[in-house]
This record gives sequence, C-alpha cells and structure tokens, in this order.
Amino acid sequence: MSSLLALGFDPSFFSDVWSFVDANADELQAGLRRTLLVSAIAIAGAFFIGLVLGAARAHRVPVVSQLAAVYVEVIRNTPILVQIFFLFYGLPQIGVRLEAFTVAWLAVMIWGGAFNTENFRAGFEAVPARLREAGFALGFGGISTFLNVTLPIGGRIALPSSINTYISVVKNTSLMYVISYPELTTTVLQVQALTLQTVEAFTVLAATYLIIVWTLSALIRFLESHLALPKAL
Amino acid sequence: MNLPDWVGDVARYMLEEGLVNTLRIAGISLAGAVLIGVTLGTLMTIRFLPLRGVIRLYIEFWRGLPILVTIFIIYFLLPAVSLSLRFEALTAAAIGLILWGSAQVAEATRGAVQSIPREQHEAASALGFGWVGRHAFVIMPQALRRLLPPLVSLLVNIIQNTTIAQVIGANELLESGERSVERLTAPPPIGLGEIHSFEIYAAVMAIFFVISFPLTRLAAYLEKRLI
Repeated sequence: MSSLLALGFDPSFFSDVWSFVDANADELQAGLRRTLLVSAIAIAGAFFIGLVLGAARAHRVPVVSQLAAVYVEVIRNTPILVQIFFLFYGLPQIGVRLEAFTVAWLAVMIWGGAFNTENFRAGFEAVPARLREAGFALGFGGISTFLNVTLPIGGRIALPSSINTYISVVKNTSLMYVISYPELTTTVLQVQALTLQTVEAFTVLAATYLIIVWTLSALIRFLESHLALPKAL
Repeated sequence: MNLPDWVGDVARYMLEEGLVNTLRIAGISLAGAVLIGVTLGTLMTIRFLPLRGVIRLYIEFWRGLPILVTIFIIYFLLPAVSLSLRFEALTAAAIGLILWGSAQVAEATRGAVQSIPREQHEAASALGFGWVGRHAFVIMPQALRRLLPPLVSLLVNIIQNTTIAQVIGANELLESGERSVERLTAPPPIGLGEIHSFEIYAAVMAIFFVISFPLTRLAAYLEKRLI
C-alpha cells in the first residue's frame, strides 16, 4: 500500500468513484439497462438465427444453405461499425428510416446471428453420423431426429463458442455510441462531459464491462466442465 | 456504364487517404500485437505464478473491454491523468488495437507453445540449449506454424476494427467515407446538395469485403493444411 502511495495513488479514489456513481445513479442505471436490453434482444435473435441457419448449413438444405453462407460471409468480412453506419445513415437515402433503438439491437443481432450460424453449424456437424443413423433406425423422421438427437448433442458442443459470440454482442453494443443511442458507453461519456470527472467515469465504464464479460466467461468455463459430452459418445 | 462526376473524386479521396490510413493502422497494430503477444504468451508458459498472474490479468483485461472503450481510455483518459500522454487519433487507435490484439496473440501463443510435446524441450535441453535458445531455436519454430491460422484471423479482425478509430476522428476508410457523404450533402458551391450515404457506405463495406474475404479463406486453408 505504501508503495502505491509513493506512486501518487490516492486511497480516496475509491470513495471518489463511489460518489460519482451515487451522484449519477439514475443516468448510469438507465444506460446499463439499455445495454442489457439491447443485448438480450440481440442474443435471443442471434440464438434463433444461429439455430435455424446453422441446421440448414449442416444439413445442406438447398437454397437456404447457400443464402445463409452468403449472409455469414458478408457479415463476417465487413466491420460491424460500417454495418451500423449503413443501417442508420445509409438506408434513409432509399427511404428506410430506422430508429436508433431499432438499429442498436438489429445490428448486433444480425452480426451475432452470422457468427452463431457458424457456431451451430460446427456443433451439428460434430455429431457422429452413427447417432443420427440410430435415430433413423428407431423410426424417427428427419425433423424428429434433428430435435431429439442432433440438437441436444450438437447444441451442447456449440454452447461455449456461442456464449463467446454473445459476449462479443454485449461488447459491440458500445458501438451504438456512433448513433447516439444512450446505452452504457454513450451515457457515461455524456456524464463525463458534464461533470468532467474523467477518471471516475472511465473507471466505472471499464469496471461495468469487465464485470459483465468476466461473469459470462466464468459461465463458459462452468458449462464446459458440466456439459462436456460423456466419453462413451 | 456512366458514373456520375462525383464518383471519381470521392473514390480517389477514400482510397488515397482513407484506405492508406486504414492499412497503416492495421500494419502497425499487427506488428505490435504479434511482438508483444508472442513474448507475453511464451513467458506465460514459465512456471512462476506471479508472472503468470500478471500476464493473465493483462490478457483478460484488454480482451474483456470493448475496443471502443479501450480507445476512449487512451484518447480521453490518459491526457486527463498526465498531459504528456496526449496522442493523435491514429496513434491512439493503434495503441488500443495493439493492447487488444496482443492479448489475443498471447493467449494463442500460450496454447501453441504448450501444445509442443515436452520431449522437444527435453531433447533441446540435452543438446545444451538454455531456456532462451531452447525456445528460440526449437519450440517457437514449431509453435509459430500452429500460430499462423489464428494470426491470419487476427489480421482480419484488426483490419475490421481499425474502423473504430473513426469514432475519435482518425481519417481511415470509414471516416473518409463519412466526410465524403457530408461534403456531397453540403449545398453548392461546397458540395452538390445530394445525399449519397447509401452508395458510399455500401462501397466501404465492399472494399472491406474484398480485403477480408481472401484472408478468411486463407486462414481456413492454413488451419486444414498446417495442423
């Protein structure tokens, strides 16, 4: 502690940060809530997109599989920030005006859906063919084999990588700063501009993201150890 | 096909200013990220807990923050702490990308170094190599092969994430596109009084796609080929 003091570290820093949070509690809470809301909508959508398109890719459903491949490659090979600009500033030229909130969840949902399609495709393709054959042998049709065999096993294989995608979705909501959607990053920078408490503001901003991201990373490690497939499979 | 008059000037500006700066930030960031990341990742394989702990914290910290927040910290927070830590937008963006990228490379390097069987270490030691010689001449040449596919993927990510520099006003490709949109929107004689945001942002996406797509294919190919 004394060496920290010698470096010019002021122990009252923590109480400064706390009083910053206390004084701006309403704004910060609203910002955090919007970040979580946008993330939740996008994650739910990305889960659904990944499930459907990942299954279509893994089982080579004609047309859908090819369209999904194009969607995945376009999204993965262009920056998400440019996608946000295109949705919010580009589309109005052809008469499509989206609200900031809509672009906020839509952009990260489209982005997360593309990465999730790959996660689920890899998970479904990792299911051994003999398990599906066993399903057919028991008299299940294509869809019931998928629902009862491929999905439970492949979904478990895809879970860690898909949570990684959801973590990136949460982090990417910070980019909504460029369309002035008042999520966490935008809110903290607005508060910082008003209060000029730069150190406190960025400490709170960084700490909040780290808490969210580190919690989700811990969840991945927990699931990886508890949902690992039995060796017999 | 006849293109409108403005296209030539805008394209030249975006490619000569924007794209050049994008590639410059990406090149510097990749070099810095690989240099720092390979060093930290290799050091992490030493069985010395405090060192491991510090590097682990470095990795989790810069991987956990959104890159935008990292760049804001460098561009807005550091000058508030000390005036000597004031950086230009392009530099601040490159530093942010190096911090994030080096964390990614360190984690990948740790895995690659640890994947080399311990017999290789023992054989090198038996030949009289010390820790540095063993890693430089025996372990790293093999680990780098396994590291190549993730490094190509990292390059794609770095190129795409250079656009975040736009937020602090660095004139990379996206910013040069935005400036072109604003210029064209301005009433004559400054601009044309026309909105061309759709075409210009679509073009920015197309340019990034043309650069990234071959690289992601290359990464997939290397992954199949080298392992």
